[in-house]
Amino acid sequence: MTAFHQRRPRRRAWLPATLALTPFFLFGLAFEVVPVLVLVRSSLIVDGGPSLDSFRRALTPFMLASFRNSLQLSLTTAVLGVTLGTTVAYALVTTRTSAIRHLLTALADVTTNFGGAPLAFAFIVTLGSTGVVTMLLKAVGVDLYPRFRIYSESGLTVAYLYFQLPLMILLILPALLGLRAELREAATSLGATPAQFWLRVGIPILAPSLLGSFLLLFANAFGAYATAWTLTGPDVNLVTVQIAALVRGEVQLDPSLADALALLSLAVMALCVAGQQWLSRRVRRGAA
Amino acid sequence: MTVRGLWRPVVLTAFVLFMVIPLVATVLLSAATRWDRTIWPEGFTLAWWAKVTARSGFRETLVNSLAVSLVTVIGAVLLVTPAAYWARLRAPRAQPWIELLAIVPFGLPGVVLALGLLRFYANVPVPLVNTPAILVAAYLVLTLPFMFRSIVNALDAIDARVLTEAAHSLGAGSVRSLVFVIAPNIVPGILNGSLLVFSTVFAEFTLANLLVGSRFKTFPIFLVEFTRFDARQASALAVMSFLIAWILSLALIWVAGRGEPSRETITMR
Repeated sequence: MTAFHQRRPRRRAWLPATLALTPFFLFGLAFEVVPVLVLVRSSLIVDGGPSLDSFRRALTPFMLASFRNSLQLSLTTAVLGVTLGTTVAYALVTTRTSAIRHLLTALADVTTNFGGAPLAFAFIVTLGSTGVVTMLLKAVGVDLYPRFRIYSESGLTVAYLYFQLPLMILLILPALLGLRAELREAATSLGATPAQFWLRVGIPILAPSLLGSFLLLFANAFGAYATAWTLTGPDVNLVTVQIAALVRGEVQLDPSLADALALLSLAVMALCVAGQQWLSRRVRRGAA
Repeated sequence: MTVRGLWRPVVLTAFVLFMVIPLVATVLLSAATRWDRTIWPEGFTLAWWAKVTARSGFRETLVNSLAVSLVTVIGAVLLVTPAAYWARLRAPRAQPWIELLAIVPFGLPGVVLALGLLRFYANVPVPLVNTPAILVAAYLVLTLPFMFRSIVNALDAIDARVLTEAAHSLGAGSVRSLVFVIAPNIVPGILNGSLLVFSTVFAEFTLANLLVGSRFKTFPIFLVEFTRFDARQASALAVMSFLIAWILSLALIWVAGRGEPSRETITMR
């Protein structure tokens, strides 16, 4: 190693920054910016002029339903993820046994990486028609089926929670840890009741983190495809499932209509991510 | 314990059960002789594991996934490290643009990225469509946020400017300072980013399915095919995916525990 770089001529002049930045920007342009712009152009330009006609024609009742389903699934799993995740995280922060805290944080850390196909399959094993929990509940006289089906939207909600919950816990833990001791003591010593503390101090401080996490969870669910596809195939009408069908050519549709659908879902995601970024910057500034 | 203090163990137990039962069920099914009539498996066997790992597709898809993940990791390190470093030290005006490029993938659903890539590269004379190369490119986009965040955090933590000035004053050029001074100091950040990229790519299904599909089968595609026709062999594959994700997470926790800034906890599905 040493011999190798001693033999090389020393470069005194620093390599222009452009040489380091060019590959990065070229790559971003070629595989990130251009593909998105192609979709923007093809969906917004009809017969050589700007027009919203593609959007109007793409949003058939069926496609509108797919947006409604996706938005509903994202909203439900984001709301449940935020409330349940914050509850679990709060229980973790306030538990007296630090071993439990470390163990369960590690559990969230690991399970947040479990997703997609294997997760969907694990839920079929657990809550499918002959799943473990289904059979267990049957044995004690509770019939899940046919009212609940894992291959349906309610099933997807449960499966999505499996990755939303640990994500929420990991997102909100730092904020909860930052909130805990001193502020609470200060509020109590000034005579605040627990309810007053939460209403006046706790929730307002946590609000940007909670809202930012909510947006992230929402986007996380809205853009998800692998879990839904493995679990329900084409049975549940979600935006991502429809776009994937268009990509695979299973559904014949004017390309610009497919691109309009993609652009609409991109807009939903962009709003969430932009809002989340803005909020997280505010949180960071507040902490500094 | 009072009733008021009881909510904590109840909440934590419910959480653990919800997170653990699907995993335990999958592990048990992968080793059960038969388990559709009884509450506990009727017997245990390793036959499904033996059967599925003996398939030619198993080795092939595993190797494909490992290869794609490794190539993506190397590509991400080479693409992001110099850009993040130079933007920080020499070209601060490039910084917001790099950050923008590293945030956009968060808002880019896999299906939309796949559609855009196919639309564009189907119409240009570059033979990319249906090759593993376009998959790697898509994975580089998908994982850009992870690698970028990890490296920027590491650069912030070591005060790259002071180190670079020290290296320069001792006569090292910019390339040498990056390779021999900065890089060794941000190894934990590079490692952190690499593990995140690897675990994301290894488990990724959407882009693999839509961009290359059956022409270059990855492990998750193999798994999904099995879920449609043999549950027990599929469960063995699912357990393997979980094990790999688990090992990578442990490695991440270990790296993070060595004084590195906290990891980004944002994953894509």
